[in-house]
Amino acid sequence: MQVVIAEDAPLLREGLTRLLEDRGHAVVATVADGDGLLSAVAAHKPDVAVVDIRMPPTHTDEGLRAALQLRRDFPATGVLMFSQYIETSYSAQLLEGGAAGVGYLLKDRVANVAEFAAALERVAGGGTALDPEVVSQLFRASRRRGGLATLTPRERQVLALMAEGRSNSAVAAELVVSGGAVEKHVASIFTKLGLPPDESDNRRVLAVLHYLGSPA
Amino acid sequence: MTDEFRRVAGIILRAPLTRRTVRELLYCGVGGIAGVAGFYITIMMLAVGLTITVSIIGTVIGLLLLILALRVSRRLGGLHRRLAWGLLRYRVEAPPKFQPGTGILGRLDKRLRDRAAWRAVSYSLVKLPVAAVQVYAIMTAVIGLVDITYPVDWVLLRHHPGGPLQPMVALNPVSFGAGSFNVYTWLGTFLAAILGAVSVLGATWLARAINAGDLRLVRALLGPSSMAERVSELERTRALAVEDSAAALRRVERDLHDGAQMRLAALAMNLGMAREKLDDDDDATVRELIDAAHRNAEDALADLRDLARGIHPPALDNGLPSALATLAASSAIPASVTADIGTRPTPAIETIAYFCAAELIANATKHSYANQIEINICTERAGVLRLEVIDDGIGGADAARGSGMTGLAQRVSTVDGQLGVSSPPGGPTTVTVELPLNA
Repeated sequence: MQVVIAEDAPLLREGLTRLLEDRGHAVVATVADGDGLLSAVAAHKPDVAVVDIRMPPTHTDEGLRAALQLRRDFPATGVLMFSQYIETSYSAQLLEGGAAGVGYLLKDRVANVAEFAAALERVAGGGTALDPEVVSQLFRASRRRGGLATLTPRERQVLALMAEGRSNSAVAAELVVSGGAVEKHVASIFTKLGLPPDESDNRRVLAVLHYLGSPA
Repeated sequence: MTDEFRRVAGIILRAPLTRRTVRELLYCGVGGIAGVAGFYITIMMLAVGLTITVSIIGTVIGLLLLILALRVSRRLGGLHRRLAWGLLRYRVEAPPKFQPGTGILGRLDKRLRDRAAWRAVSYSLVKLPVAAVQVYAIMTAVIGLVDITYPVDWVLLRHHPGGPLQPMVALNPVSFGAGSFNVYTWLGTFLAAILGAVSVLGATWLARAINAGDLRLVRALLGPSSMAERVSELERTRALAVEDSAAALRRVERDLHDGAQMRLAALAMNLGMAREKLDDDDDATVRELIDAAHRNAEDALADLRDLARGIHPPALDNGLPSALATLAASSAIPASVTADIGTRPTPAIETIAYFCAAELIANATKHSYANQIEINICTERAGVLRLEVIDDGIGGADAARGSGMTGLAQRVSTVDGQLGVSSPPGGPTTVTVELPLNA
């Protein structure tokens, strides 16, 4: 998998490069600002770009704006937003154009190297990878209390993992249950919440997120 | 001696010919007439208003008349201020705008208690004698001018055939006609001219004198009261203080994000990778990753330590002398501290003094090329903490230039402190900060 890294702290840039190259991925370019990112992606057409949100010159949301531009200009390249904090409006903007090939992770997640790499691979493959913190914020902020209250605790867990963008098999691995059990839970969730059943993982992410964000 | 005398005499005699004189006389004219008119309007309204108010029947109307008098006085005050600025370039700020009250009684009450308006009323009343003198001055000037032209007038007006040879009356500013003398000959007109010149000269200086007094009155009665000025000063410094603390918090967030947070993320990454490598039996790489993680941890601690010191240096708890000693010890340029503190200032003042000293030392290190810095701190004067930072460098520091100094000056002014800079080119530079002991 070919990766471009956009991060202004050299320490993290090198660490990420090492982490990914260790797993056999090719880091074709590392840049430190939004413009650099756009030109690097244009030049190399990577499978995915890891983008820090806060970069020079203003250190506010350069990364986000560059990422939105990438989504418009290079839809084939996945974008994984990377930040030290979660800003709900950023995740909303990112997901506006659909959930395929989009990710938003906290920098804390690199502590678990395997999970981070899995998330990156998911995004490169056209899936979704939302940080559990993003998902739990959405759950907390959701006005669909009534609907969510009808779910069993296990179903809520499955719903949260679905919202992160994980496939059924990934959910099964995470919860240490069988694939069949997961499928049953998923079907039950969709019925209880009145969501249309959908095979595609990232469309179902959108359905769940849309449900959580909509008024009761 | 005679040179000085000649110089002064020259100034006195040339005064009437300057543009300033024209403006001063214009002010006398316009201001004087406005003053007289204002006096009569004001006193009429006040008198009528008061009498009607007292006669229970028309209390409301009377009060309304009084309020009208107050509002008119305010407007008149504005007119006089504008005259003072326009003609004499004397700036007096308007008093704070009137804030109306709520409810009928509230509004009446607020209007009647409008301090600035009552001060404007008193100006209108006091202005009468002043205006009288001003009108006199301008009339004297006019008369003088007329008198000066007498020699010419004689020639122009006296040569009509058949007309009776009347004597010309030379106007006299002192008694306006009663004491004026008649002029019978052409040579006599020159006497009149001389009288005119003297009148103009006198009028010029009279105008200046009375205007100076008038302007004092304008400042005292038509400007903002010292209380109002104090309030706007406090509002200004409060805004600065609020801005300052917001900026400081932003700096802290930025330092945490770019410093400790980033290093801890790198640490997590290194440990995560090390854990993976443990299974691979790759001891060398694991050791390398753990070493890197270790360095990340140390750097993060150092960052946090610096940040904490930048927020509140722990040494300050033991007082300024020890905190300043630590500061001096870590200064790039050798620095010594002399402390003589009697009563200990409040913590807030100690913090401000500490950061002032830190900023000044940093400035000296950056700009002064000094070999030695001296820091003195004492409470010599009652209730005042005095901090002096002296360096033997190249000098040329300016409180007006440089954002560091401006920030310092603002912080000092927030607590009503004083900042003094003495920095001749070539040095040495002495910066003095005086702060009250209690914020």
